[in-house]
Amino acid sequence: MEKKIRVLIAKPGLDGHEAGARLIARVLINAGMEVIYSGPRQSTEMIVNAAIDEDVDVVGLSVLSGIHKEATLSVLNLLKEKGAGDISVIVGGIIPAKDIPEMKKAGVKEVFGPGTNVDRVVETIKRIVAH
Amino acid sequence: MNKKRGKDAPPDDAVVSGKKLKKSFSEWEKNVLGKRVGPDGQLRDEFKTRHGQVEKTKAEFRSGSGEVAIKSLYTPLDLLQTDPVEDIGFPGSFPFVRGRDPLGPQAASLPMKFYSGFGGSKDAKERYKALYAAGGKFISIAFDLPTQLGYDSDSSQAKWEVGKVGVALDTLKDLEDLFDGLPLEDIRTGTVGNCIGPWAFALFYLLGQRKKLQPQDMKIVLQNDPIKEYTGRGTYIFSPQTAIDLASDVVVYTCRNLPFGWQTQFHCTTQMRWGGCTASQEIAFGIADLIAYVEAAQKKGVAPEELIPRLDLHMTCDNDLFEEVAKFRAARRVFAKVFKKRFSTDDPRVLSLRITVWTGSHRLTAQQPLNNIIRSTMHSLASLLGGVETISVPAHDEALALPTTESTRLAALTPLLLKEECMVCNTADPLGGSYYVEELTNRLEEKSFYWLDQVEKQGGAVACVESGYYLKRMSEEMLKYRKEVENNTRTVVGVNTYVVENEPSIELFEGDPESERRQIEKLAQIRKTRSPAAVQQSLDGIRKVAEKKAAGKGENIVPAMINAVDAYATIGEIFGVLREVFGEYRPPSVF
Repeated sequence: MEKKIRVLIAKPGLDGHEAGARLIARVLINAGMEVIYSGPRQSTEMIVNAAIDEDVDVVGLSVLSGIHKEATLSVLNLLKEKGAGDISVIVGGIIPAKDIPEMKKAGVKEVFGPGTNVDRVVETIKRIVAH
Repeated sequence: MNKKRGKDAPPDDAVVSGKKLKKSFSEWEKNVLGKRVGPDGQLRDEFKTRHGQVEKTKAEFRSGSGEVAIKSLYTPLDLLQTDPVEDIGFPGSFPFVRGRDPLGPQAASLPMKFYSGFGGSKDAKERYKALYAAGGKFISIAFDLPTQLGYDSDSSQAKWEVGKVGVALDTLKDLEDLFDGLPLEDIRTGTVGNCIGPWAFALFYLLGQRKKLQPQDMKIVLQNDPIKEYTGRGTYIFSPQTAIDLASDVVVYTCRNLPFGWQTQFHCTTQMRWGGCTASQEIAFGIADLIAYVEAAQKKGVAPEELIPRLDLHMTCDNDLFEEVAKFRAARRVFAKVFKKRFSTDDPRVLSLRITVWTGSHRLTAQQPLNNIIRSTMHSLASLLGGVETISVPAHDEALALPTTESTRLAALTPLLLKEECMVCNTADPLGGSYYVEELTNRLEEKSFYWLDQVEKQGGAVACVESGYYLKRMSEEMLKYRKEVENNTRTVVGVNTYVVENEPSIELFEGDPESERRQIEKLAQIRKTRSPAAVQQSLDGIRKVAEKKAAGKGENIVPAMINAVDAYATIGEIFGVLREVFGEYRPPSVF
């Protein structure tokens, strides 16, 4: 049996608007993936530890509160530090276009804004994991 | 005296029972509509040739929330069971469907309302000065996330978040600085602060004292609505029971001690609707939650007739204008019926629901943001036609970043322009009597009672929060909605239709990256200059009350809170004590 793709959906920082994160979690489950949803109010340390403990392929960060750069860079650095740099990171939420190049340069595989077609998220994850 | 037959004669039986109309309608359906469109939906007559249409544009027309199937026409026949007196009546009397005020909006002022904030007091104050100069009479202070969660700006939890989504406030000094140079007596103000209600209250209470104002010279509006936080917004701290207890302490203190200009609670359904709920769920869950607040206050000796005039239901406004107007009307009628039964009263103070609105942020798109001005205008119109009493409008760039001063101003101006130039508030309930709107009101009312019944079966609002029942309903509907957007059965302009590739970017607000550091320095300074003994004593006072509450012995926390805030105890110190005593809430993992 083909190994299921494992994804951690996490909300770093204090913002608790979970509707988008929960929707994506539901969509990924429906697409046959295994999803761990961290819930809100996670520090980046907690997220990275969970990603490693749960042996996920992809970490999906949901950020609406303006801390997307700081949180994403922190997650990427911590993953590298802990020898888990092979775990891919994608980010969704309210991300100003001008910040995307810097985030991608730091190693984010894809950034999704509001109104993203959820099938695109599924396809992107499949594509990332296939490589 | 014998009256001649004719104008003064009683109406023909056939007219009263709708027999004549029924017959006429049947004939129209067969001979006129029947020639226009066949049972297969195919357009049949010369309209088809002229416009090139072959079929109806949609197989099925449904209301915006998806709940109600919409016919191509509504007639008096749809209202034969609707009694013009019992079911519709007049504004200011049961069932209040036409409004709370018998005079309608002719006497109502509509304040220019803002919810705004970012950075530290110095940063936000400049914007508030500009908004006040632009005519802003109601400025609700947006607090940043650390503040909303009871964390100090120098705590580890606050890292990166200080001043990002609102103003950072750690002590009373921050609010004093914010209003330094602003006429508090001329501005209605307050904040959301849902799990920090007693602290937010103490802050504004003491601000008035520092400015040597009497309570009757101030207009304070605090949301103080913890239930909202568990269903999609997330700034909860304690368990629902503890949170509701703390919130109702503020309500009780206010009703006992402060004049009517102090409103210290209202319940907000926006997050539930934005998270997916339908219109009837928004009504039902909102009313169920209001019951929880009214009963919490009642247990502490505040009667419903004291609280309800100082309470409101803060709803959102979605895209379907007619459905939303019907929703506001149905909400008033459902509330009146529910509270009449539950509290066994005919007192209009208990039965008339004030509705305020924050228009549909969830329908604003990041794509082609100027379209959002159109959407917000329609939301504002629906709200005014629906008889709501204040309106907050999000700015058109808010799906992208915090708004600029100019986009904020434009949004706040929108309902005022509609009222004053477009004269949509000349009369009460202008859409009352519309066959369509009255029928939609009836349908939404029916569905609301279904959901109220479900909530009751679950054990009430708090049980629905704790079990995740509300969250599950939201998720179900949200998934349905997304599927419709993605298979294009629901149009979202700029997202799945009328898409523009490579849109030019617009200028967005940018916060000052130094404001977090400045706030931390300011806090350090305050820690140095205040009296440590007074602070410690005040924190002991908080702990004593909290421990009494935890032991099941009621005591109002507000006096101790005022004392602590007065001594410049920080929000983190105060909520640190409360977290120690009450513990933090872990929500159910539901999606």
